[in-house]
Order: sequence, then structure tokens, then C-alpha cells
Amino acid sequence: MRSLLRQQLPEVLQGVVPLAAVAIVLQVLFVRAPADVFLRFLGGSVLAVVGLVLLFAGVELGVLPMGRYVGAALPRARSLALAVGVVFAFGFATTVAEPDVLVLAGEVAAMPDSPFSAPVLVATMGLGVGVFTAIALLRVVRGVSMVLLLAAAYGLMIVLAFATSADFVPLAFDAGSVTTGVLTAPVVLALARGFTSVLGERDAVTDSFGFLGLASTGPILVVLLLGLVA
Amino acid sequence: MTWSELLQEIASTAISVGLAVGPLALLFLVFQVFVLRLPVPEVARVLTGGLLATAGLFLFLLGVGIGFLPFGQVVGESVTELPQTWMVIPLGALLGFVTSWGEPSVRVLAGQVEDASAGSIRSSLVLWTVCGGVAVAVSVGMARIEHGTNLLWLVVPGYLLVMVMMAFADRRFLGIAIDAGGVATGPLANTFLLALALGAASALDPGDPLVSGLGLVALIALAPVLSVTVLGVVVRVMERKGASLR
Repeated sequence: MRSLLRQQLPEVLQGVVPLAAVAIVLQVLFVRAPADVFLRFLGGSVLAVVGLVLLFAGVELGVLPMGRYVGAALPRARSLALAVGVVFAFGFATTVAEPDVLVLAGEVAAMPDSPFSAPVLVATMGLGVGVFTAIALLRVVRGVSMVLLLAAAYGLMIVLAFATSADFVPLAFDAGSVTTGVLTAPVVLALARGFTSVLGERDAVTDSFGFLGLASTGPILVVLLLGLVA
Repeated sequence: MTWSELLQEIASTAISVGLAVGPLALLFLVFQVFVLRLPVPEVARVLTGGLLATAGLFLFLLGVGIGFLPFGQVVGESVTELPQTWMVIPLGALLGFVTSWGEPSVRVLAGQVEDASAGSIRSSLVLWTVCGGVAVAVSVGMARIEHGTNLLWLVVPGYLLVMVMMAFADRRFLGIAIDAGGVATGPLANTFLLALALGAASALDPGDPLVSGLGLVALIALAPVLSVTVLGVVVRVMERKGASLR
């Protein structure tokens, strides 16, 4: 375990040091933040480095294997309904628990002409993510072209963006980023990777990616639709 | 920051991490009992890893909350101190690049791409392309705040451009492209860059800082999709010419 942690440190430093260095240069050149804000930034950076070392070690040790086990078990279960159900559950459960989703739902519910309450919105966004994760899985099983699916999703998004109430547009596009919690992203990526790894001789790269991205178009479309109804 | 504020930050971070981890752990355990039935050492490894990741996530988010958020806001507000207003554009590009460079999920995605492609698509290539995309997004976002451009006029042509480019791109890159849009809007972007945008908006734009500041996340979600699709086009053109990417 100690070697696993030590292995992560160089990569974490490589990731965080440029940001901290730029921040320090800016502070010296023109920002001149109050001393306590700057010291908190430095302290926060140290905490972030320690946290990332643990996070990456944990992702490597447990989270990626877990996603892979679950993903690989889906085609073996020989029941498409079960596979669809499981990815839907993953999408739905991780979304309704995501703190950012709760914040966003609160914002939409607070819009002047919004007839929706926050819990209804959270559930709807969870449905959006769950349904689109399931669509991503069906795409791989049925071999539907990604181009076709993306063209449909983006086309619908653009049409709705013009049709819907203007206030909902920025919120909708913000909603797209909520499915990407730091833990959800590796789990979904590994789940997709595990699922496609047992499918046989198909192209692993084409099939393994797109789950997370399609999942995040779900809530965009849902919030745009809500704006249309409102 | 007083002690009670610090305690409050610790409590709210712990609650968010617990809420994010809980359902995942529950689903895994249900799946383990009914479908997977992995041997005990494997389950122990997964759970240890999960615990480590949870502790790491908590410390990381706490560091981001107490340190990055307030500093990002101060940086954003001090853009008025710049000798020339156009300098917000290269500043945005620089901060956008280093922020997504440090974003954990971007690195996980890059690693998974290298893994799935058996090394034929290098993780560093994905990392540089995503960070380059975010750099452009943040500089465009800063320019938008300065000029007060409507978000639709940037986002709609952006997605239309993706739709057009898709037809010319190497198919393998499309899934990676849309996933890249998802991972780029991680916790660093959502705190540091968002605080930067809100700070810049309150300093530069007399209008509603929420409206002009919030659109940045939408641009950060869009730009890596575009940049990875462009990478897909480049790869396809190069392969047609017979050149290897490696």
C-alpha cells in the first residue's frame, strides 16, 4: 500500500504544482490577495495534494476494479434488461446524491415562473442521467453509430435551446456538468470499460467511451424541456 | 476564517462526500451479494480502495473549499488591476490550462484511453488536448464577460461545429470527446474557475454577475468536446497520409 501511495505522488505534484505556481506568480505580480486568503490557498493546496494522493491510490486499488467487475458481469448475466437496469440505477443513484445537483435544482426551483419543486427536479435530472446512461449501453450492444446518436442529441438540444424560456438556457447547460462528480466519473468510465472488455473482438476505444458524455446530455435536455413546459 | 467557519466547511464537505459515496457503495454491495459473488480478498481490496478514495476526496474538496474558492474570487476581482483589459484573455487561457491540468477526472480519463487503446493513443495526448480546449474556453469566457455576449451565440455554433466535425473525425475519438466534456467540469473548474468568472463579472460587467459569470461552466463543458473532435479529424487526416501518430 505504501508503494502505491508513493507511486501517485509524482503524478499528483505534476498536476497541482503548475496551478499553485501560476497562482503564486499572479499573487506577486498583480493580485495581492490579503495575506490570510493567500495562506489559505497554500494550505488548501497542501490538503489537495494529500487528498489527491489518497484519491488516486483508492481509485487504482478499489474504484476502477469495482467498476470493471460490475461492468464485466453485465454481459455475462445474459439479460439485457438486467444490464440496462443496473446502469440506469448507477446513473440515477449517483445523480440524485450529487451535491451539485441539489444546488442546481434549488436554483431552478427558485426561478420566478418555475412551477417545479426542488425534489421533483432532482428526480427528473436523475431520470435524465439514468435513461441516457442506459441509451449509451444499448448503443454499444446494438452497435448504433455514435455519430447518429450525438447528432440527434445535439440537434434536439439546439432546437430546444431556442424554443425554451431564455432563463432556463444557462441553467440547462450547467446541468450538463453535474453528472461528473469526482467519484462518479471514474466509476462510470471503469464500468463502461469493463462492459466492453468482455464483448469480444469489437473496437475497445470506440465502445468504451461516451457513457459519461451521453449521461451528461440527459440533464441538459431535461432542464430545457422543463423550461418549455414552464 | 474563524474556527466555527472552518468546522462548518469540514462538516459540509463531509456531508457531500458521504452523499456521493453512499449510493455507490450500496449498489456495489447489492451487486456483490446477488450477481458478482467475488472472493473475500477482492471485496476487501475494493472496499479498502473505496475508503482511501473517500478520505482522499474529502481532503481534496476541503482544500479546494477553504483555499481555491476564495483565492479564485480575489484573482477574478483583480482583473481590473491589469494594465490592459485584453490581458484577461491570455490570463484566462493560462488559468484554464493549469486548472484542468490538475483536474483529477481528466487524468483518469486520459489513463483509461491509453489503457483501452493498448497504448496507441497516449494519455498525454488526451491530457494536452483537453487542457488546450479548456484554455480556449476560459479565455473566450473571459472575453464574453467583458463584452456581455449572449451565451447562446457561443454555445449553439459550438455544438453545430462539433456536429459538422464529427463527420470528418476518426470514430474512435467521438466517445472520448464527449466524455472529455464531462470530466473537464470537475471540482477545480467548478470552484476555482467559477469563482474567477464571478469575480471578473462583478469587476468588469455592470449587469447581473450571476448571468455573465455562470455561462463559463457551459463553455468549459463544450470546448474539450470540440478540441478532442478536432484531434480526431487530425488523426484521420494523418492516417490517410500514411503517417503514424506515434
